[in-house]
Amino acid sequence: MAENTDKMVIDGVELTGIWKEFLPSRILYEDVTTEFLDEVKKLPGGSTIVRCYQCGTCSGGCTLPDFVDKFNPRRFIDLVRRGHYDILVNENKDLVWKCVSCQRCTHRCPRGVNTQEVVRAIAKFLEDRKVFGKLTNDEAFDEIFMEEVIEDGRIDEVKIVKDFYSKTGRLKEMMSSDQIALGFKMLTSGRIKLFGGKIKDWKKVSQRLKEELQ
Amino acid sequence: MKTVLVIGGGVTGLKASSELAEMGYNVTLVEKEDYLGGQVAKHKYYKLAPDLRLAGEVIDPVIKAVENNSNIKVYKHSHVAAVSGNAPEFKAKIKNSKGESEENFGAIVVATGFEHFDPTVKQEYGYGRFKDVVTNAEVEEMLNPGGPTNGELKRPSDGETPKKIAIFQCVGSRDRQVGNPYCCRVGCVVSTKQAIEIKEKYPDSEVYVYYMDMRMFGRGWEELYGKAMEEYEIIFTRGRGAEVTLKNQQLSLRAEETIMDRPIQHSVDMIILAAGMAAGEGTIEAANVLGIKQNDYGFLEPKDDFVSPNESSKPGIFIAGADKGPMDIENCIVEGAAVAAKVASSLKN
Repeated sequence: MAENTDKMVIDGVELTGIWKEFLPSRILYEDVTTEFLDEVKKLPGGSTIVRCYQCGTCSGGCTLPDFVDKFNPRRFIDLVRRGHYDILVNENKDLVWKCVSCQRCTHRCPRGVNTQEVVRAIAKFLEDRKVFGKLTNDEAFDEIFMEEVIEDGRIDEVKIVKDFYSKTGRLKEMMSSDQIALGFKMLTSGRIKLFGGKIKDWKKVSQRLKEELQ
Repeated sequence: MKTVLVIGGGVTGLKASSELAEMGYNVTLVEKEDYLGGQVAKHKYYKLAPDLRLAGEVIDPVIKAVENNSNIKVYKHSHVAAVSGNAPEFKAKIKNSKGESEENFGAIVVATGFEHFDPTVKQEYGYGRFKDVVTNAEVEEMLNPGGPTNGELKRPSDGETPKKIAIFQCVGSRDRQVGNPYCCRVGCVVSTKQAIEIKEKYPDSEVYVYYMDMRMFGRGWEELYGKAMEEYEIIFTRGRGAEVTLKNQQLSLRAEETIMDRPIQHSVDMIILAAGMAAGEGTIEAANVLGIKQNDYGFLEPKDDFVSPNESSKPGIFIAGADKGPMDIENCIVEGAAVAAKVASSLKN
């Protein structure tokens, strides 16, 4: 019967009744790649990923699982090393960012993996591949904050609020009456200034920082 | 006939002494404690893996062979303070409470052995903080009918028999954090053996072993591992113990069940730390006095691991047993006999 199976497909519908045709394959992969491991290894803080021997000390003592279900540094490392890019992106891309850097894993790791930095490197690796869609509020704030520090060397409250609302597409919200009233109050009490001071010759530092962060 | 100085009265030193004496050499055995038998005697090892035979059956004949041989002079509670000269003319100062004496020797055998790793430095396991976190050596003492609890496994905190027992593997071995990246080579089988002994004595108890790899490479070890799972229903979980805390007055351990990809929190009555082997104080002292080479972990380094495993970096000074690195009793006895042969052939030339 086997030799005739190719004739049993009519309009793309399988008619032979071989069971495996009805069931999705359980085979995880037929080809493995170390491409992702190589990439993470080269990122800042990622080099110690190769030392891991998957004992689970990091995830066993991790602070996060009480609050963030499924956060598991050992598994992130495993997925990168085995090249399970799809699983990493589909199931873990929103998790890798949640690390609070308590460093328990790093201090306890029996192999000297700098686990916290490796997890950061994996997050960076995912970011570089642009797997994250729309920015969440805190991510947007982080980004604007960093931009401002690099650009001006200091934080201008008015500017950062304006940029934050515009970046998250909520300019209308900012112009609501209670927000304006609050802003006015802060202005008159001297909490914020309309034009923040400038730092002398910051341009040079800014340029250097940008070069370094390239 | 030349006299041989043997430093260390543990299994290796005893075997080396009795073999040399039987070949007709005079032997001086120096032991720092006031008993012979080394760690086996110190921690009252009860049964030996994998046959679960009594440790006494193995060690007592070796001790007797030394004590009954008139060619062997035993100095207990003594140590070698200084050594001068070169092979085959050594002069050694042996010190003890009664004073010191200087003797001439043709060769020196260093069999100073190991010491159990002190898990106090692994703070997350709470050894020393929680009374019910004990080491495998302490359990060995407890299980011995001649030990402090007359052979009963009891919780140090309240003297009760624990119902749920967890064993942590690889404490102080395979761990770069404490500077011991090597495998202790016996922890796996000793823990399996202790788990079986506990289950045999207290069939109602539950024993959980938290491991990274079970390295059952020795004679009959893999079979013992199978027996532990099949006959004694000991639960082996792949995941290294991460931390021990106190939750509602009960010990609570955390680890990751790596096969399930999930962390677990497990409440138990007692935790046994399978502490590994570290170079003993005696080994480090002997290395300093004799000026022989040590490796990165404090163990003694043979001249050549393959070609001359029992020769130290200095001619006329021989090394054997667990001062070279982690070793089980079976192999220590082999080492003792091997070094005796090596010493005999070198003294003949």
